[in-house]
Amino acid sequence: MSSPPNKNRTATLCLTVKEDAISTFLPLLAQGFTVKTRVGCGVQEMLCGQFGLDADYVEQRLQTIFLDGKAVDNVKASVVRHGSTLALSAAMPGMVGATLRRCGVYASMRHEITHKNTPTKETVKEGTVMLKLFNLVAGDIGPRFLKQGIWIKGKNLQVFFRKAPDHFWAGCRAAEIDGRHLEVDKLSNLDWGQQQVFLKLRVKLTR
Amino acid sequence: MDKILRINMGNEGGPQASEEPMGDYAGLGGRGMTSAIIAKEVPPLCHPLGKDNKLVIAPGMLSGSHAAQSGRASVGCKSPLTGGIKEANVGGQGAQVLARLGYAAVVLEGKPKDDNLYKVVINKDGVEIIPDNSLKMLGNYDLIDKIKAEYGDKVACISIGPAGEMKMAAASVAFTDMEQRPTRHAGRGGVGAVMGAKGVKVIVLDDTGMETRSPKDPEKLKAANKAFTQGLKKHPITGEGLPSFGTNILTNVINEAGALPTHNFQSGRFDGAGNISGENQSEIMKTRGGMVTHGCHKGCVIRCSGIYNDKDGNYLTKRTEYETVWAHGTNCGIDDMDTVAMLDRLDDDYGLDTIEMGVTIGVAMEAGLAKFGDGEAAINLLKEVGKGTPLGRVLGSGAAVTGQVFGVERVPVVKGQALPAYDPRSVQGIGVTYATSTMGADHTAGYAVTANILNVGGSVDPLKPEGQVELSRNLQIATAAIDATGMCLFIAFAILDQEDTFNALLDIISAFIGQDFTADDVTALGKKILEYERDFNTRAGFTKKHDRLPDFFKTEPLSPHNVTFEVKDEELDQVFNW
Repeated sequence: MSSPPNKNRTATLCLTVKEDAISTFLPLLAQGFTVKTRVGCGVQEMLCGQFGLDADYVEQRLQTIFLDGKAVDNVKASVVRHGSTLALSAAMPGMVGATLRRCGVYASMRHEITHKNTPTKETVKEGTVMLKLFNLVAGDIGPRFLKQGIWIKGKNLQVFFRKAPDHFWAGCRAAEIDGRHLEVDKLSNLDWGQQQVFLKLRVKLTR
Repeated sequence: MDKILRINMGNEGGPQASEEPMGDYAGLGGRGMTSAIIAKEVPPLCHPLGKDNKLVIAPGMLSGSHAAQSGRASVGCKSPLTGGIKEANVGGQGAQVLARLGYAAVVLEGKPKDDNLYKVVINKDGVEIIPDNSLKMLGNYDLIDKIKAEYGDKVACISIGPAGEMKMAAASVAFTDMEQRPTRHAGRGGVGAVMGAKGVKVIVLDDTGMETRSPKDPEKLKAANKAFTQGLKKHPITGEGLPSFGTNILTNVINEAGALPTHNFQSGRFDGAGNISGENQSEIMKTRGGMVTHGCHKGCVIRCSGIYNDKDGNYLTKRTEYETVWAHGTNCGIDDMDTVAMLDRLDDDYGLDTIEMGVTIGVAMEAGLAKFGDGEAAINLLKEVGKGTPLGRVLGSGAAVTGQVFGVERVPVVKGQALPAYDPRSVQGIGVTYATSTMGADHTAGYAVTANILNVGGSVDPLKPEGQVELSRNLQIATAAIDATGMCLFIAFAILDQEDTFNALLDIISAFIGQDFTADDVTALGKKILEYERDFNTRAGFTKKHDRLPDFFKTEPLSPHNVTFEVKDEELDQVFNW
């Protein structure tokens, strides 16, 4: 196991991958990644105003939303703070899916874990938020975050490379750490320690 | 589907089959049929393994037809696990084939006078009941291979594994899927033990030469079916989420909600959940050449099942369901997908309820028989069950018995049946259903069909505690009705969201029976079924004190939200007041 350069600092890892390798990153997005963004605003403002998601997409696709582990009903009044965790999912099946659903008929059945819209005078400012993208949502909007760049825990990345399937390696064309070229097959040997890694994908379109 | 097949296993001259018209049971199917027969014909105080108990296998009202999603069957009896009435619901091919053979129910009665093991073969020419002791103690997989070799690859099988032969209270009844694998199970409540007590190892069903069931109004059915199928395909849950990730789509979300049973219900969040989530599972399946989407019965358009291969690309088991992933996985601290898949395979082979066994192993871990997270130990404990060792017999008797034998206080059961699915401290309305369901702790007993569409009650403020009770009541009524049709419960979200899809379902039923079937009829049917079940349970000695969650849910706060179950006993007692 070798260490990346400057193990004790943050590192930037750029990967050039074929489009069909992107799906291998989706479980990583479900574990959570950090983005720098403006905080102190409502969930909807963050999703639409800052992440650029379409309002219809938020309304119709993001049927299950958690903010700091609590189920969200009011996307305008639920305020995302610095260090918050925001988890996004499509509608879920079953009894519990109906119960957790945003503004669902059965929302009262999970009253104890519903996000209460606490009034806040927090001003909007720069901060960081952990995002988790689950199931269909990861496939829908995950690639845009991967292309813009996300902060990932080094240990999560290490496990990802160790367990990456053959078609990831077949699709990963190039790697750079802090602007310096690295052989792709050395990625699984790197010990990232406690670093946060800024991961960014360049997608090579296949003809 | 105009007759009932009764097989008297205790007949003086040897087991005997007879057919009879539907009589008082006309118009019933699925859970409606099983609960009506059990409530009317089984003495509630009888021994579940004795001659007076009956095992009823009933396809749904719509099974065997071209109606989409209609291939579910119900298996009913007095439960050896709970002591109350039981309906265990199952997919696979059995319902479709049994319905096309013309049977609204197969009823196993009596008790054999010898210790032979029997196979029952049903085809267009009749019924044969054949002693075959070469099948003794075969796992379901080897059993089905043997049956295939003898009867061909078009038959459907209903069978028990060694657990059922040993009459363990966690034993299931297996139904073969479209690939003739024993992967679908009527799991809950020990129905497999009752089949074992009747001396029946396998029922072989061959509908060669039989016609698909025709509705009274074929044109109406065709139109309604088309609308219904389109509705299912366009809905993001039934058309995208379930086919892509299976029911395991739930794991990450339930974990985020803090409702994922972890380490024998000690907490609601598990660090390793992502490793065994549906997202990760699908990636593994794609890599190994498994099938990510797959229907468990012909006519299924949702296709939430799949095929999971091992590291070498060979078949191991079906795509593991959410129930297996949390019960054998997070609840036992196990975060390796291959280990969970192996446990699933063993459950299917031995013929065991995956929920009961996962919770039982969690209790066993709390008792110190293994460490939480030790996958190999969990597999070994399950193998003890399959072998029928003294320890295995304890574990195979379920979580309540295991907890009692090993002196464990935290035993998550209601009416003796292990809790499924989600921690009720985080989702308290579901806890109401767990506590009050006639089936024991059961998450599918109160399913998601909107109160608005059904127009059942709905005048109480849902934010008040009595509102949650009313929601649970409505859901239990709706679920009982859907269980009678043979429809898969996963239609629920599509019919909740899309009123035209719900109306298409009503039109399908109307077209089939030749008369209007309305939302009020759904309610009436559901209430009737629940009344049968409540009546049986009352006569079996159940009182309101059985409609309660274990005390620890009220006293131990669940992390990460630090919540306890707050619904009062007096409120629980209102669920069935209508």
